[in-house]
Amino acid sequence: MDDDRYISKKEVLEQMGISYGQLYRWKRKGLIPEAWFTRRSTFTGQETFFPRDKILERIRQIKEMKGDHPLDDLADVITQQVNEKLQVAFDQLRRLQWFDDSVLETCKIDRSRSTPLTIHETLCVAVLSQLRRSARTEELSLVQRTLDERLDETLLDRMTEERLRLHLLRKRLSGAGISAEISLVVIGPETIVLDPEIERVETVDLKHMIERIKLDLAREAQGGSPEEAPGRETEEER
Amino acid sequence: MNDDKRSASLAGAGRLSGGDYTRVSISGAGKVSGDIKAEALRISGAGKVEGRTEAMQIAVSGSGVFGGEVVAEEMRVSGAARIDGMARVKELKCSGSYRVKESIAAEYVKVSGVLRVGGDLEADLFKASGGFEIDGLLSADKIEIRPGGRCYAREIGGAKIDVRRGGHRERGILLDGLVRMFSGKGIAELGATTIEGDEIHLEDTVADVVRGKRVEIGPGCRIKVVEYSEDLTVHSSAEVDKQQKV
Repeated sequence: MDDDRYISKKEVLEQMGISYGQLYRWKRKGLIPEAWFTRRSTFTGQETFFPRDKILERIRQIKEMKGDHPLDDLADVITQQVNEKLQVAFDQLRRLQWFDDSVLETCKIDRSRSTPLTIHETLCVAVLSQLRRSARTEELSLVQRTLDERLDETLLDRMTEERLRLHLLRKRLSGAGISAEISLVVIGPETIVLDPEIERVETVDLKHMIERIKLDLAREAQGGSPEEAPGRETEEER
Repeated sequence: MNDDKRSASLAGAGRLSGGDYTRVSISGAGKVSGDIKAEALRISGAGKVEGRTEAMQIAVSGSGVFGGEVVAEEMRVSGAARIDGMARVKELKCSGSYRVKESIAAEYVKVSGVLRVGGDLEADLFKASGGFEIDGLLSADKIEIRPGGRCYAREIGGAKIDVRRGGHRERGILLDGLVRMFSGKGIAELGATTIEGDEIHLEDTVADVVRGKRVEIGPGCRIKVVEYSEDLTVHSSAEVDKQQKV
Protein backbone atom coordinates (compact mmCIF):
# COMPACT_ATOMS: atom_id res chain seq x y z
CA MET A 1 0.00 0.00 0.00
CA ASP A 2 1.97 2.95 -1.26
CA ASP A 3 0.00 5.54 0.55
CA ASP A 4 1.63 7.98 2.91
CA ARG A 5 -1.46 8.24 5.00
CA TYR A 6 -1.13 4.63 6.07
CA ILE A 7 1.53 2.75 7.95
CA SER A 8 1.98 -1.00 8.36
CA LYS A 9 1.94 -2.67 11.74
CA LYS A 10 5.58 -3.70 11.35
CA GLU A 11 6.62 -0.10 10.76
CA VAL A 12 4.59 1.08 13.75
CA LEU A 13 6.38 -1.38 16.03
CA GLU A 14 9.75 -0.41 14.66
CA GLN A 15 9.24 3.34 14.70
CA MET A 16 7.70 3.47 18.15
CA GLY A 17 9.88 0.76 19.69
CA ILE A 18 6.99 -1.32 20.98
CA SER A 19 6.25 -5.04 20.89
CA TYR A 20 3.45 -7.11 19.40
CA GLY A 21 2.40 -7.95 22.95
CA GLN A 22 1.94 -4.28 23.81
CA LEU A 23 0.06 -3.47 20.64
CA TYR A 24 -2.36 -6.36 21.07
CA ARG A 25 -2.79 -5.55 24.76
CA TRP A 26 -3.60 -1.92 24.02
CA LYS A 27 -6.11 -3.02 21.44
CA ARG A 28 -7.77 -5.32 23.97
CA LYS A 29 -7.99 -2.48 26.46
CA GLY A 30 -9.78 -0.36 23.90
CA LEU A 31 -6.90 2.10 23.57
CA ILE A 32 -6.63 1.54 19.84
CA PRO A 33 -9.97 1.54 18.04
CA GLU A 34 -10.93 -1.45 15.94
CA ALA A 35 -11.81 0.94 13.10
CA TRP A 36 -8.15 1.87 12.63
CA PHE A 37 -7.16 -1.68 11.67
CA THR A 38 -7.23 -2.17 7.91
CA ARG A 39 -6.20 -5.52 6.49
CA ARG A 40 -4.59 -5.67 3.08
CA SER A 41 -2.96 -8.35 1.02
CA THR A 42 0.65 -7.56 0.24
CA PHE A 43 3.34 -9.64 -1.43
CA THR A 44 4.25 -11.11 1.96
CA GLY A 45 0.65 -12.02 2.75
CA GLN A 46 -1.98 -10.35 4.88
CA GLU A 47 -0.84 -7.21 6.61
CA THR A 48 -2.49 -4.71 8.87
CA PHE A 49 -2.32 -0.99 8.19
CA PHE A 50 -3.25 2.01 10.31
CA PRO A 51 -3.96 5.67 9.59
CA ARG A 52 -0.41 6.96 10.11
CA ASP A 53 -0.96 10.19 12.04
CA LYS A 54 -3.63 8.79 14.30
CA ILE A 55 -1.82 5.64 15.35
CA LEU A 56 1.54 7.31 15.93
CA GLU A 57 -0.02 10.08 17.99
CA ARG A 58 -2.07 7.58 20.01
CA ILE A 59 0.92 5.39 20.79
CA ARG A 60 3.01 8.38 21.78
CA GLN A 61 0.20 9.36 24.10
CA ILE A 62 -0.10 5.89 25.62
CA LYS A 63 3.64 5.62 26.15
CA GLU A 64 3.73 9.05 27.73
CA MET A 65 0.96 8.28 30.18
CA LYS A 66 1.26 4.60 30.96
CA GLY A 67 4.10 5.07 33.43
CA ASP A 68 1.85 6.97 35.76
CA HIS A 69 -1.50 5.37 35.23
CA PRO A 70 -2.94 1.86 35.03
CA LEU A 71 -3.92 0.88 31.49
CA ASP A 72 -7.55 0.44 32.45
CA ASP A 73 -7.82 4.08 33.52
CA LEU A 74 -6.09 5.25 30.38
CA ALA A 75 -8.78 3.88 28.15
CA ASP A 76 -11.35 6.16 29.76
CA VAL A 77 -9.18 9.20 29.53
CA ILE A 78 -7.86 8.76 26.03
CA THR A 79 -10.93 7.51 24.26
CA GLN A 80 -13.72 9.39 25.95
CA GLN A 81 -14.64 12.88 25.02
CA VAL A 82 -14.78 15.38 27.83
CA ASN A 83 -18.22 15.32 29.12
CA GLU A 84 -19.89 18.67 29.07
CA LYS A 85 -21.83 17.53 32.08
CA LEU A 86 -18.76 16.52 34.06
CA GLN A 87 -19.06 17.95 37.50
CA VAL A 88 -16.40 18.34 40.06
CA ALA A 89 -17.09 18.61 43.74
CA PHE A 90 -15.29 21.60 45.14
CA ASP A 91 -13.67 19.80 48.05
CA GLN A 92 -12.49 17.15 45.61
CA LEU A 93 -10.75 19.82 43.58
CA ARG A 94 -9.09 21.27 46.65
CA ARG A 95 -7.33 18.00 47.31
CA LEU A 96 -5.66 17.89 43.91
CA GLN A 97 -1.96 18.50 43.69
CA TRP A 98 -2.04 21.31 41.18
CA PHE A 99 -4.84 23.21 42.84
CA ASP A 100 -3.90 26.75 43.77
CA ASP A 101 -6.18 28.47 46.19
CA SER A 102 -5.14 31.98 45.20
CA VAL A 103 -6.72 31.87 41.74
CA LEU A 104 -10.25 31.22 42.97
CA GLU A 105 -11.13 34.87 43.17
CA THR A 106 -10.02 35.52 39.59
CA CYS A 107 -12.05 32.49 38.52
CA LYS A 108 -15.05 34.03 40.28
CA ILE A 109 -15.51 31.00 42.49
CA ASP A 110 -16.75 31.46 45.98
CA ARG A 111 -14.60 29.74 48.59
CA SER A 112 -17.60 28.54 50.53
CA ARG A 113 -19.33 27.17 47.49
CA SER A 114 -21.28 23.95 47.92
CA THR A 115 -22.44 23.19 44.37
CA PRO A 116 -20.12 21.25 42.08
CA LEU A 117 -17.94 22.94 39.48
CA THR A 118 -18.47 22.58 35.76
CA ILE A 119 -15.68 21.40 33.48
CA HIS A 120 -15.30 25.01 32.32
CA GLU A 121 -14.68 26.28 35.81
CA THR A 122 -12.37 23.39 36.64
CA LEU A 123 -10.34 23.99 33.51
CA CYS A 124 -10.14 27.67 34.36
CA VAL A 125 -8.81 26.91 37.84
CA ALA A 126 -6.27 24.48 36.39
CA VAL A 127 -5.04 26.84 33.68
CA LEU A 128 -4.79 29.79 36.05
CA SER A 129 -3.01 27.67 38.65
CA GLN A 130 -0.35 26.93 36.09
CA LEU A 131 -0.04 30.51 34.80
CA ARG A 132 -0.07 32.11 38.23
CA ARG A 133 3.67 32.47 38.53
CA SER A 134 4.43 33.98 35.15
CA ALA A 135 1.31 36.04 34.50
CA ARG A 136 0.22 39.34 35.97
CA THR A 137 -3.06 39.67 37.80
CA GLU A 138 -4.79 41.46 34.95
CA GLU A 139 -3.51 38.81 32.55
CA LEU A 140 -4.97 36.07 34.69
CA SER A 141 -8.30 37.76 34.54
CA LEU A 142 -7.95 38.15 30.78
CA VAL A 143 -7.39 34.40 30.52
CA GLN A 144 -10.40 33.81 32.74
CA ARG A 145 -12.59 36.03 30.54
CA THR A 146 -11.33 34.33 27.39
CA LEU A 147 -12.16 30.88 28.72
CA ASP A 148 -15.45 32.09 30.13
CA GLU A 149 -16.65 33.72 26.93
CA ARG A 150 -15.10 31.54 24.26
CA LEU A 151 -15.28 28.08 25.72
CA ASP A 152 -18.21 26.15 24.36
CA GLU A 153 -18.68 22.48 23.63
CA THR A 154 -17.12 22.70 20.16
CA LEU A 155 -14.01 24.32 21.49
CA LEU A 156 -13.80 21.77 24.28
CA ASP A 157 -13.88 18.96 21.72
CA ARG A 158 -11.31 20.69 19.56
CA MET A 159 -8.97 21.07 22.50
CA THR A 160 -8.57 17.32 22.67
CA GLU A 161 -8.89 16.53 19.00
CA GLU A 162 -6.61 19.23 17.66
CA ARG A 163 -4.42 19.43 20.72
CA LEU A 164 -5.02 23.14 21.20
CA ARG A 165 -2.83 25.35 23.39
CA LEU A 166 -3.49 28.58 25.19
CA HIS A 167 -0.77 31.13 24.52
CA LEU A 168 -0.25 34.14 26.71
CA LEU A 169 1.59 36.87 24.77
CA ARG A 170 2.83 40.38 25.36
CA LYS A 171 3.70 43.14 22.96
CA ARG A 172 5.42 46.37 23.79
CA LEU A 173 4.57 49.45 21.80
CA SER A 174 6.76 52.45 22.11
CA GLY A 175 7.23 55.71 20.33
CA ALA A 176 7.20 59.42 20.93
CA GLY A 177 8.58 59.01 24.40
CA ILE A 178 5.80 56.80 25.75
CA SER A 179 5.57 53.07 25.85
CA ALA A 180 2.78 50.68 26.60
CA GLU A 181 2.50 46.97 26.87
CA ILE A 182 -0.50 44.97 25.81
CA SER A 183 -1.32 41.38 26.68
CA LEU A 184 -2.92 38.90 24.33
CA VAL A 185 -4.51 35.50 24.86
CA VAL A 186 -4.66 33.16 21.88
CA ILE A 187 -6.15 29.66 21.77
CA GLY A 188 -4.73 27.80 18.79
CA PRO A 189 -2.36 25.09 17.61
CA GLU A 190 1.00 24.44 19.21
CA THR A 191 3.02 26.38 16.69
CA ILE A 192 1.89 29.86 15.91
CA VAL A 193 4.09 32.33 14.10
CA LEU A 194 4.32 35.69 15.78
CA ASP A 195 5.68 39.03 14.80
CA PRO A 196 9.17 39.51 16.24
CA GLU A 197 8.04 42.07 18.73
CA ILE A 198 5.68 39.72 20.50
CA GLU A 199 7.00 37.96 23.57
CA ARG A 200 5.57 34.59 24.56
CA VAL A 201 4.95 34.50 28.30
CA GLU A 202 3.70 30.96 28.62
CA THR A 203 1.85 28.26 26.72
CA VAL A 204 -0.59 25.83 28.30
CA ASP A 205 -1.31 22.46 26.68
CA LEU A 206 -5.08 22.37 27.07
CA LYS A 207 -5.46 18.79 25.97
CA HIS A 208 -2.95 17.65 28.53
CA MET A 209 -4.71 19.75 31.14
CA ILE A 210 -8.08 18.13 30.46
CA GLU A 211 -6.54 14.67 30.58
CA ARG A 212 -4.87 15.44 33.85
CA ILE A 213 -8.08 16.69 35.37
CA LYS A 214 -9.91 13.55 34.32
CA LEU A 215 -7.19 11.23 35.52
CA ASP A 216 -6.76 12.96 38.85
CA LEU A 217 -10.47 12.94 39.45
CA ALA A 218 -10.73 9.29 38.48
CA ARG A 219 -7.98 8.40 40.87
CA GLU A 220 -9.35 10.66 43.57
CA ALA A 221 -12.67 8.87 43.20
CA GLN A 222 -10.92 5.55 43.75
CA GLY A 223 -9.47 6.89 46.97
CA GLY A 224 -5.84 7.13 45.94
CA SER A 225 -3.83 10.30 46.25
CA PRO A 226 -2.41 11.76 43.05
CA GLU A 227 1.15 11.51 44.33
CA GLU A 228 1.20 7.79 44.80
CA ALA A 229 0.52 6.33 41.43
CA PRO A 230 2.18 2.96 41.41
CA GLY A 231 2.11 2.36 37.65
CA ARG A 232 0.73 -1.12 37.59
CA GLU A 233 2.77 -2.69 34.87
CA THR A 234 2.79 -6.06 33.33
CA GLU A 235 5.81 -8.18 32.69
CA GLU A 236 6.85 -6.70 29.49
CA GLU A 237 6.38 -3.04 30.03
CA ARG A 238 8.98 -2.98 32.73
CA MET B 1 -28.93 -5.96 49.66
CA ASN B 2 -32.26 -6.27 48.01
CA ASP B 3 -35.11 -7.62 50.08
CA ASP B 4 -37.01 -9.16 47.23
CA LYS B 5 -34.01 -11.23 46.14
CA ARG B 6 -34.86 -14.88 46.21
CA SER B 7 -33.46 -18.17 45.19
CA ALA B 8 -35.19 -20.55 42.83
CA SER B 9 -34.91 -24.13 41.89
CA LEU B 10 -36.55 -25.73 38.87
CA ALA B 11 -36.57 -29.48 39.05
CA GLY B 12 -39.34 -30.49 36.68
CA ALA B 13 -40.38 -28.67 33.59
CA GLY B 14 -41.06 -25.07 34.32
CA ARG B 15 -40.67 -21.44 33.62
CA LEU B 16 -39.13 -18.79 35.74
CA SER B 17 -39.60 -15.09 35.34
CA GLY B 18 -36.49 -12.94 35.04
CA GLY B 19 -35.21 -10.67 37.77
CA ASP B 20 -32.83 -10.61 40.70
CA TYR B 21 -31.98 -13.89 42.39
CA THR B 22 -29.45 -15.24 44.80
CA ARG B 23 -29.16 -18.82 43.57
CA VAL B 24 -30.90 -20.36 40.60
CA SER B 25 -30.71 -24.02 39.87
CA ILE B 26 -32.25 -25.70 36.85
CA SER B 27 -32.10 -29.45 36.95
CA GLY B 28 -35.14 -30.30 34.86
CA ALA B 29 -36.12 -28.53 31.70
CA GLY B 30 -36.47 -24.89 32.55
CA LYS B 31 -36.80 -21.57 30.83
CA VAL B 32 -36.15 -18.15 32.20
CA SER B 33 -38.16 -15.46 30.51
CA GLY B 34 -36.43 -12.10 30.31
CA ASP B 35 -33.16 -10.95 31.85
CA ILE B 36 -31.75 -12.65 34.89
CA LYS B 37 -29.31 -11.49 37.54
CA ALA B 38 -28.09 -14.02 40.05
CA GLU B 39 -25.22 -14.73 42.37
CA ALA B 40 -25.03 -18.30 41.15
CA LEU B 41 -26.70 -19.97 38.22
CA ARG B 42 -26.48 -23.70 37.85
CA ILE B 43 -27.83 -25.64 34.92
CA SER B 44 -27.60 -29.38 35.16
CA GLY B 45 -30.68 -30.20 33.10
CA ALA B 46 -31.70 -28.34 30.02
CA GLY B 47 -31.95 -24.64 30.70
CA LYS B 48 -32.61 -21.62 28.59
CA VAL B 49 -32.35 -17.98 29.47
CA GLU B 50 -34.23 -15.91 26.96
CA GLY B 51 -32.66 -12.59 27.83
CA ARG B 52 -29.40 -11.28 29.26
CA THR B 53 -27.59 -13.15 32.04
CA GLU B 54 -25.48 -11.58 34.73
CA ALA B 55 -24.04 -13.72 37.48
CA MET B 56 -21.05 -14.16 39.74
CA GLN B 57 -20.86 -17.83 38.91
CA ILE B 58 -22.38 -19.87 36.14
CA ALA B 59 -22.03 -23.63 35.96
CA VAL B 60 -23.42 -25.65 33.07
CA SER B 61 -23.17 -29.39 33.29
CA GLY B 62 -26.27 -30.10 31.23
CA SER B 63 -27.25 -28.00 28.30
CA GLY B 64 -27.57 -24.27 28.61
CA VAL B 65 -28.78 -21.81 26.02
CA PHE B 66 -28.39 -18.08 26.59
CA GLY B 67 -30.39 -15.83 24.32
CA GLY B 68 -28.50 -12.63 25.08
CA GLU B 69 -25.26 -11.32 26.49
CA VAL B 70 -23.63 -13.24 29.34
CA VAL B 71 -21.66 -11.39 31.99
CA ALA B 72 -20.00 -13.42 34.73
CA GLU B 73 -17.02 -13.54 37.04
CA GLU B 74 -16.66 -17.23 36.52
CA MET B 75 -18.21 -19.68 34.09
CA ARG B 76 -17.60 -23.41 33.99
CA VAL B 77 -19.02 -25.58 31.30
CA SER B 78 -18.72 -29.33 31.38
CA GLY B 79 -21.89 -29.88 29.36
CA ALA B 80 -22.86 -27.77 26.41
CA ALA B 81 -23.42 -24.04 26.41
CA ARG B 82 -24.61 -21.84 23.60
CA ILE B 83 -24.57 -18.06 23.82
CA ASP B 84 -26.36 -16.07 21.20
CA GLY B 85 -24.78 -12.77 22.24
CA MET B 86 -21.43 -11.72 23.60
CA ALA B 87 -19.69 -13.33 26.58
CA ARG B 88 -17.86 -11.18 29.13
CA VAL B 89 -16.53 -13.71 31.56
CA LYS B 90 -13.51 -13.13 33.77
CA GLU B 91 -12.63 -16.76 34.12
CA LEU B 92 -13.92 -19.25 31.60
CA LYS B 93 -13.28 -22.96 31.85
CA CYS B 94 -14.73 -25.27 29.30
CA SER B 95 -14.32 -29.00 29.29
CA GLY B 96 -17.51 -29.54 27.32
CA SER B 97 -18.73 -27.59 24.36
CA TYR B 98 -19.03 -23.81 24.23
CA ARG B 99 -20.44 -21.85 21.35
CA VAL B 100 -20.61 -18.08 21.23
CA LYS B 101 -22.24 -16.25 18.38
CA GLU B 102 -20.36 -13.00 18.99
CA SER B 103 -17.09 -12.37 20.86
CA ILE B 104 -15.58 -13.41 24.16
CA ALA B 105 -13.86 -10.91 26.44
CA ALA B 106 -12.15 -12.61 29.36
CA GLU B 107 -9.10 -12.57 31.58
CA TYR B 108 -8.47 -16.28 31.68
CA VAL B 109 -9.77 -18.91 29.29
CA LYS B 110 -9.09 -22.61 29.55
CA VAL B 111 -10.47 -24.96 26.94
CA SER B 112 -10.11 -28.69 27.17
CA GLY B 113 -13.33 -29.36 25.28
CA VAL B 114 -14.47 -27.56 22.17
CA LEU B 115 -14.96 -23.88 21.65
CA ARG B 116 -16.62 -22.11 18.76
CA VAL B 117 -16.55 -18.31 18.55
CA GLY B 118 -18.23 -16.24 15.84
CA GLY B 119 -16.21 -13.10 16.62
CA ASP B 120 -12.98 -12.43 18.52
CA LEU B 121 -11.62 -13.98 21.68
CA GLU B 122 -9.65 -11.60 23.87
CA ALA B 123 -8.06 -12.60 27.16
CA ASP B 124 -4.92 -12.12 29.23
CA LEU B 125 -4.19 -15.83 29.28
CA PHE B 126 -5.57 -18.41 26.86
CA LYS B 127 -4.93 -22.12 27.31
CA ALA B 128 -6.37 -24.78 25.04
CA SER B 129 -5.86 -28.51 24.94
CA GLY B 130 -9.05 -29.33 23.07
CA GLY B 131 -10.26 -27.94 19.78
CA PHE B 132 -11.53 -24.52 18.80
CA GLU B 133 -12.70 -22.45 15.93
CA ILE B 134 -12.51 -18.67 16.20
CA ASP B 135 -13.72 -16.73 13.19
CA GLY B 136 -11.96 -13.52 14.18
CA LEU B 137 -8.91 -12.64 16.25
CA LEU B 138 -7.52 -14.68 19.11
CA SER B 139 -5.57 -12.23 21.25
CA ALA B 140 -3.95 -12.72 24.66
CA ASP B 141 -0.72 -11.86 26.44
CA LYS B 142 0.05 -15.52 26.65
CA ILE B 143 -1.41 -18.15 24.37
CA GLU B 144 -0.78 -21.82 25.05
CA ILE B 145 -2.20 -24.34 22.66
CA ARG B 146 -1.86 -28.12 22.74
CA PRO B 147 -4.06 -29.05 19.81
CA GLY B 148 -6.36 -31.89 20.78
CA GLY B 149 -8.50 -31.55 17.70
CA ARG B 150 -8.90 -29.07 14.93
CA CYS B 151 -7.87 -25.62 16.14
CA TYR B 152 -8.43 -22.55 14.04
CA ALA B 153 -8.37 -18.79 14.47
CA ARG B 154 -8.27 -16.40 11.55
CA GLU B 155 -5.65 -14.29 13.30
CA ILE B 156 -3.61 -14.87 16.42
CA GLY B 157 -1.71 -12.16 18.29
CA GLY B 158 -0.04 -11.68 21.64
CA ALA B 159 3.21 -11.40 23.53
CA LYS B 160 3.95 -15.10 23.90
CA ILE B 161 2.51 -17.80 21.69
CA ASP B 162 3.33 -21.39 22.44
CA VAL B 163 1.89 -24.24 20.40
CA ARG B 164 3.01 -27.78 21.19
CA ARG B 165 1.95 -31.30 20.40
CA GLY B 166 0.18 -33.48 22.88
CA GLY B 167 -3.22 -32.17 23.91
CA HIS B 168 -5.07 -35.36 23.10
CA ARG B 169 -2.81 -37.44 25.27
CA GLU B 170 -3.88 -35.60 28.36
CA ARG B 171 -7.51 -36.23 27.66
CA GLY B 172 -9.59 -39.27 28.53
CA ILE B 173 -11.10 -41.47 25.83
CA LEU B 174 -14.61 -40.12 26.34
CA LEU B 175 -13.71 -36.51 26.00
CA ASP B 176 -11.41 -37.32 23.14
CA GLY B 177 -14.42 -38.84 21.36
CA LEU B 178 -16.44 -35.74 22.05
CA VAL B 179 -13.77 -33.45 20.74
CA ARG B 180 -13.36 -35.50 17.59
CA MET B 181 -17.08 -35.64 17.07
CA PHE B 182 -17.30 -31.86 17.15
CA SER B 183 -14.07 -30.95 15.50
CA GLY B 184 -13.76 -33.41 12.67
CA LYS B 185 -11.48 -36.37 12.08
CA GLY B 186 -8.29 -37.10 13.85
CA ILE B 187 -6.60 -33.88 12.85
CA ALA B 188 -4.89 -32.24 15.78
CA GLU B 189 -3.32 -29.12 14.40
CA LEU B 190 -3.60 -25.37 14.45
CA GLY B 191 -4.58 -23.31 11.45
CA ALA B 192 -4.45 -19.53 11.05
CA THR B 193 -3.88 -16.94 8.35
CA THR B 194 -1.57 -14.79 10.45
CA ILE B 195 0.21 -15.36 13.75
CA GLU B 196 1.99 -12.39 15.36
CA GLY B 197 3.85 -12.30 18.65
CA ASP B 198 7.10 -11.45 20.36
CA GLU B 199 8.05 -14.99 21.28
CA ILE B 200 6.58 -17.70 19.15
CA HIS B 201 7.01 -21.45 19.31
CA LEU B 202 4.94 -23.49 16.89
CA GLU B 203 4.37 -27.19 16.28
CA ASP B 204 1.76 -28.84 14.05
CA THR B 205 0.71 -25.46 12.73
CA VAL B 206 -0.42 -24.41 9.28
CA ALA B 207 -0.31 -20.68 8.61
CA ASP B 208 0.13 -18.17 5.82
CA VAL B 209 2.22 -15.64 7.73
CA VAL B 210 4.08 -15.81 11.02
CA ARG B 211 5.63 -12.58 12.31
CA GLY B 212 7.63 -12.23 15.47
CA LYS B 213 10.73 -11.23 17.31
CA ARG B 214 12.00 -14.67 18.27
CA VAL B 215 10.42 -17.46 16.29
CA GLU B 216 10.79 -21.24 16.53
CA ILE B 217 9.12 -23.30 13.86
CA GLY B 218 8.89 -26.85 15.21
CA PRO B 219 7.91 -30.23 13.77
CA GLY B 220 4.78 -30.62 11.73
CA CYS B 221 4.52 -26.98 10.61
CA ARG B 222 3.70 -25.70 7.15
CA ILE B 223 4.21 -21.95 6.96
CA LYS B 224 4.24 -19.85 3.81
CA VAL B 225 6.08 -16.78 5.11
CA VAL B 226 8.00 -16.19 8.32
CA GLU B 227 9.15 -12.68 9.17
CA TYR B 228 11.30 -12.27 12.25
CA SER B 229 13.31 -9.44 13.77
CA GLU B 230 15.77 -11.30 16.05
CA ASP B 231 15.93 -15.08 15.85
CA LEU B 232 14.51 -17.86 13.78
CA THR B 233 14.97 -21.61 14.05
CA VAL B 234 13.24 -24.05 11.75
CA HIS B 235 12.92 -27.76 12.54
CA SER B 236 14.08 -30.15 9.81
CA SER B 237 10.61 -31.61 9.35
CA ALA B 238 8.92 -28.21 9.05
CA GLU B 239 8.13 -26.55 5.76
CA VAL B 240 8.74 -22.83 5.43
CA ASP B 241 8.39 -21.41 1.93
CA LYS B 242 9.95 -18.07 2.59
CA GLN B 243 11.75 -16.56 5.53
CA GLN B 244 12.79 -13.00 5.94
CA LYS B 245 14.57 -11.01 8.60
CA VAL B 246 13.00 -7.60 9.00
